[in-house]
Amino acid sequence: MPVDLAQILEITGRTLQVCFTALGVALAVGLPIGIALGRRRSAGRGSLALVALINSGMGAPPVVVGLLVALTLWSSGPLGGLQLMYRPEAMVLAQIAIALPLVIGISLAAAGSLEEDWELQVRALGIPARWRVWLLLREIRLGLLAAVIAALGGILSEVGAVLMVGGNLEGETRVLTTAILMYTRMGEYATAIGLAAVLLGLMLVLAGLLTLVQQSGRR
Amino acid sequence: MTPRVVLRARDLRVERRSRRGSFALEVDELELREAETLVVLGPNGAGKSTLLRALAGLETPARGSVEAFARGPATLVFQRPAALAGSVAHNVRAALLGRGLTRREVASRSGAELTRFGIAPLARRRAVTLSGGELRRLALARAFVLEPAILLLDEPFDDLDGAGQAALSLDLRRVIEQTGVSVAVVTHDLRRALLLGDRVAVLDAGRIRQLDRREAVLERPLDPAVARIVGMTNLVRGRFARVSAGTQAYVEVDAQHRVPVLGEWPEGAPVWLGIRPEHLKLDVGRGEIDPIGKGVVRGVVSDGVAVTATIEWAGADLRAHLLAGRGLARSLAPGDRVSLSVRPEHVHLMPA
Repeated sequence: MPVDLAQILEITGRTLQVCFTALGVALAVGLPIGIALGRRRSAGRGSLALVALINSGMGAPPVVVGLLVALTLWSSGPLGGLQLMYRPEAMVLAQIAIALPLVIGISLAAAGSLEEDWELQVRALGIPARWRVWLLLREIRLGLLAAVIAALGGILSEVGAVLMVGGNLEGETRVLTTAILMYTRMGEYATAIGLAAVLLGLMLVLAGLLTLVQQSGRR
Repeated sequence: MTPRVVLRARDLRVERRSRRGSFALEVDELELREAETLVVLGPNGAGKSTLLRALAGLETPARGSVEAFARGPATLVFQRPAALAGSVAHNVRAALLGRGLTRREVASRSGAELTRFGIAPLARRRAVTLSGGELRRLALARAFVLEPAILLLDEPFDDLDGAGQAALSLDLRRVIEQTGVSVAVVTHDLRRALLLGDRVAVLDAGRIRQLDRREAVLERPLDPAVARIVGMTNLVRGRFARVSAGTQAYVEVDAQHRVPVLGEWPEGAPVWLGIRPEHLKLDVGRGEIDPIGKGVVRGVVSDGVAVTATIEWAGADLRAHLLAGRGLARSLAPGDRVSLSVRPEHVHLMPA
């Protein structure tokens, strides 16, 4: 049962849609948290525990994350009433759970590497608040883009969690990684290899673009 | 006419807590006057940086207030200035962000400051690649591009080599005079303080111990703690005595040692006497004016410009500064017996 171009496009499109939605949410939530944690002036016990949790989240097996999301979304779970299981939204949630610790952890490290009195120095120049934020983002942009690349790589290549909560339903929740897994199991290696090439190409193009942005200001 | 005050701290208390313990800075009153350079001198950990940050409005005081009455902004140059990502020129232009200036205005103002501090040739270099001295010049250019009325400097010459310090302090002096900016500079370096300051405040353990004209603080410190900070390192305890009215007063250190002094103290009053090392004279031959007895040289250290001799006298180690390469400084060696003398007007008395 070879796939046609329309199917490849459909699967690729869904892959990108799910990934970018998850990435967008993870960045919107994770970057402010990571930067704020990285720039906190004193490390209390509470924030230390939070950082430890984030660091372990960065290495959490995606399958375990998928299982936790599935437990939450199953009809008996706390969010069961939303009936998101086996829908793209469930995959987005699982990918957010995978990407968020990466985004927070890496942006935290980037922000933490700045001098302790950096904000004070910029404030001492009387620069307005929103420009100070701009300067801070500019200052740590290498680290921030590393966070984006890591998060994108983590969710684009992930298969366990999306399979568990998405179910690889044709035309609904099938994405590149789950499709590759399925065709490999079916022995349709040519199709699997073709889809793998698409996935690899996507990752190369996206990482390349981000790297260009990341390194453009390094003069 | 009293000069206009541009910055005033009143009843100020700033608290700091760290793992090493808590620290409080308390300043009853501190004024910065228009176009003056006020030097805050103090040892490490005295609270100098905290004071400067409080004056810049970067610290929230637990009590009291800091008011500015200047016609322009106040800015602070940190001990270790941050180099922003990007070029040297960007670093200076960044200070003007969000002020509604045109690109042309920003370029011309930042260009002028880069030239003024001699770093225009480095404008396109990445700021993080600058040397310590270049980075300080960048930080000053970044501060002066704001056209500040008040400039606060935290150890502006720290970590620079001798030549770099001299060049930068001359340039800084020139710019301060050109712009008429009011400056408060904190330093632990007595020599730099003398070079820059009109008035000197001595800060120790979070309190201002003395604030006065430079000469007054140097020559008449209020107590031994201030005396040590301002370089009056020869401190000996004794009792004030005057044989009879109209005769030379002196301080009796012990039965064999007495030092002629000026001034009027109650007979027998316990006092500290302070002598700056440059005012203690040494002689090996005939006695000089007002000899205070003989001492034994314990050590001789030379930096090529000055020779510092340590002499045991009346159970205390006194220090004397001599010009290197001249007279006694060429031959002085440990173990030598020397005759010590000091002019009465160079002996400063403090209550003990």
